[in-house]
Amino acid sequence: MGRLSCGAGVSAMLDFMNQLMAVASPLAWPLVLMLAWLAGEFGHRRIGLPRISLYALVGFALAPAQAGLLPAQPPEAVALLAHIGFGLILFEVGHRINIRWLQSNPWLPATSVVEAVLTFGAVYLLARGFGLPPTTTMLIAALSMATSPVAVVRVINEQASAGQVTERLLHLSVMNCVLAVFAFKSVVGQVIFGTSGSLWHALYSSAIVLLVSAVLGAVFGYLIPALLRATDRAVQDSTLAFAIAVVILVMLTHSLKLSPLLATLTFGMVARHRRIVLSRAQRGFGILGELLTLLLFVFVSSILSWSHLVQGLGLGVALVLVRSLTKVVGVTALARVSGTTWRKGALVGVAMAPFSVFAVLLLEQTRMAGVDLMSQLAPVAAAALLLEIVGPVLTQQALRWAYEMPEGQES
Amino acid sequence: MPLDAFTPSTPLTLGVELELQLISLSDFDLVGASDDMLELLSRAPFPGHVMPEITDSMIEVSTAVHTHYPDLLSQLRASRDALVSAGEQLNIGVSGGGTHPFQNWSERRIFRRPRFRELSALYGYLAKQFTIFGQHVHVGCASGDDALYLLHALNRYVPHFIALSASSPFVQGKDTLFNSARLNSVFAFPLSGRAPFLLRWDDFEQRYFSKMELTGVVKSMKDFYWDIRPKPEFGTIELRVCDTPLSVERAAALAAYLQALCSYLLDRQESDPIEDDYLVYNYNRFQACRFGLDGTIVHPRNYEQMLLREDILATVRRLRPYAESLDSGCALEHVQQMVVEGCDARHLRMAHAERASVEGMVDAALQRFRDGEPVARG
Repeated sequence: MGRLSCGAGVSAMLDFMNQLMAVASPLAWPLVLMLAWLAGEFGHRRIGLPRISLYALVGFALAPAQAGLLPAQPPEAVALLAHIGFGLILFEVGHRINIRWLQSNPWLPATSVVEAVLTFGAVYLLARGFGLPPTTTMLIAALSMATSPVAVVRVINEQASAGQVTERLLHLSVMNCVLAVFAFKSVVGQVIFGTSGSLWHALYSSAIVLLVSAVLGAVFGYLIPALLRATDRAVQDSTLAFAIAVVILVMLTHSLKLSPLLATLTFGMVARHRRIVLSRAQRGFGILGELLTLLLFVFVSSILSWSHLVQGLGLGVALVLVRSLTKVVGVTALARVSGTTWRKGALVGVAMAPFSVFAVLLLEQTRMAGVDLMSQLAPVAAAALLLEIVGPVLTQQALRWAYEMPEGQES
Repeated sequence: MPLDAFTPSTPLTLGVELELQLISLSDFDLVGASDDMLELLSRAPFPGHVMPEITDSMIEVSTAVHTHYPDLLSQLRASRDALVSAGEQLNIGVSGGGTHPFQNWSERRIFRRPRFRELSALYGYLAKQFTIFGQHVHVGCASGDDALYLLHALNRYVPHFIALSASSPFVQGKDTLFNSARLNSVFAFPLSGRAPFLLRWDDFEQRYFSKMELTGVVKSMKDFYWDIRPKPEFGTIELRVCDTPLSVERAAALAAYLQALCSYLLDRQESDPIEDDYLVYNYNRFQACRFGLDGTIVHPRNYEQMLLREDILATVRRLRPYAESLDSGCALEHVQQMVVEGCDARHLRMAHAERASVEGMVDAALQRFRDGEPVARG
């Protein structure tokens, strides 16, 4: 009798737990977002860490592969919102890029090529040294070139920094991302898919993808301001219109298998040069931008797993070190000739540490295309996680050393 | 520290200082970049001088001492070109204009130099609100007495300079309806306004400055923010009411206009200044700030109301022979042209209407500074 009631109790408990789970699981994501927000505020106010570092930390800790608070498969909607968040931030980044600067100071594009090529070469040699196959090595090297403009612009906005290091950081991170997307798509095209076996064909087809993405972004960059002008609401409503346009563009490029990164970036750049600008209050799309950034950073690090981290830790750490070194050396080498000081050049190099969001999303994209690069590229995952958390801290520190933050935040 | 003796200088020589805005070409806001600019500019000889100002999004250039307007103009143009090309390397635009139309004063950083830190500690938000940009013109004087004579004789013409240079219509994103909103910020300082009515240097030194010094309120002439103040160590008077114009050509023309005016006044063509001239001073000054060239001023002697625009044109006609002898005839042409075309504030407002954003307005100002204005050949 006693046993029976006990059994009934257990099954009732299990039943209850199941019911609880059924109610609770849709709550998992919102709850994690709340936790990440709390951690972000606490860490930022008390310890002065960048919020995005803490979002990432919470996302990783509560990921399905770790604490398991988040469901194993992220809901479709979450992934979608993360990509939209990514698109919004990239639009903003593009919006702050002054192409004319790259023309009037050709040493900047030169700096970008030098540091990117240097990083590619050094990481390639390093990974080969660790005995990885050439294909994987090239993919890792291509990804390592990129600095995440998303993390960079979030830190810049959070700290309200402005100055030479801030400007160069932003422009260089955009340039090396474009270079990295190009290199990565070329390698994927040539080696993984083996489309035709010809390197030229791979370069050509990835160039086409980039070109079409850029053209699409540019079309939006012309159309939306024209539309706003036509409706004569250029001043008041532009932020909302741009946000909706970014959503459309992200969906469109995803379904056409183009590069949402390049498309939203170009959209921002062209819109800016059409002189319809986001007001300062709406920079980063205000509260919408904040929310989606939070979600994006949690989402991205929740994809990573502890096992990848451990598996790729050795090379991952070496990669982080080598990559930081080549960026600092590359940017510093051309610092003076490009019009700034050695010191500021080195600080730009240090500030260029973040790369995770970008790399991980790129990997996600190829996984959706049917290739699981994540397990092959465990070192990248390890490096991504390290830099996801440490990268923004380095960026923030470099900006502080460059005295580019408003006074209250300097000390 | 007692006041420096007045060092005589060659009468009617000119020196111009321009406080300029450093603007990020990424978002058109002010950017703390004076040390970047100074570092880059220090790599090559600079035509004139360049130095930091109180906030690090401001830079000051000054010319050498010039006798002739054409030399002054060509040096200002050379300085402008050096600044613009350095800025291009750094994604920084250099611009005139008395205020930045949408900067937020709480975001400005005070340049890291002890005097600036002290000022900031003393004046609090005023120091940051002091992120305003003026043109100062020095005119050489043979003696301290001449300096004080000119300083007071000029009182009636101060509104001319305010209206002609007015280029600060917007503050913190809003149209102030003023043409020179900048001067309102200057007025907030306790030692601003007009100099005391003393016409002899000895009196100024003994009856005013040393007493003020005893009160502990001031330490040097630098503590006065008067509209015109004597600068004994240079042997000059310094006119400080002008907004920095959008182009260096306009800055040069204003300096030459002042030079011709001083030449005319030293010729004792007008009756001597009296204390009562100042009865209408603040009113006229307000008219010029608020309405620019469309302001109505009151003549201090006959109390006649006149349009500022008309008064300037009449003065230009009177000054013509003096300008001819100073080789600045085409500067007066330029002043006349300004009266017809309107001040820079008007140009900025038009740009704002056309481009529908304050950022677009900053862009127009940058363009005006970079490309300059055509100046008629004299």
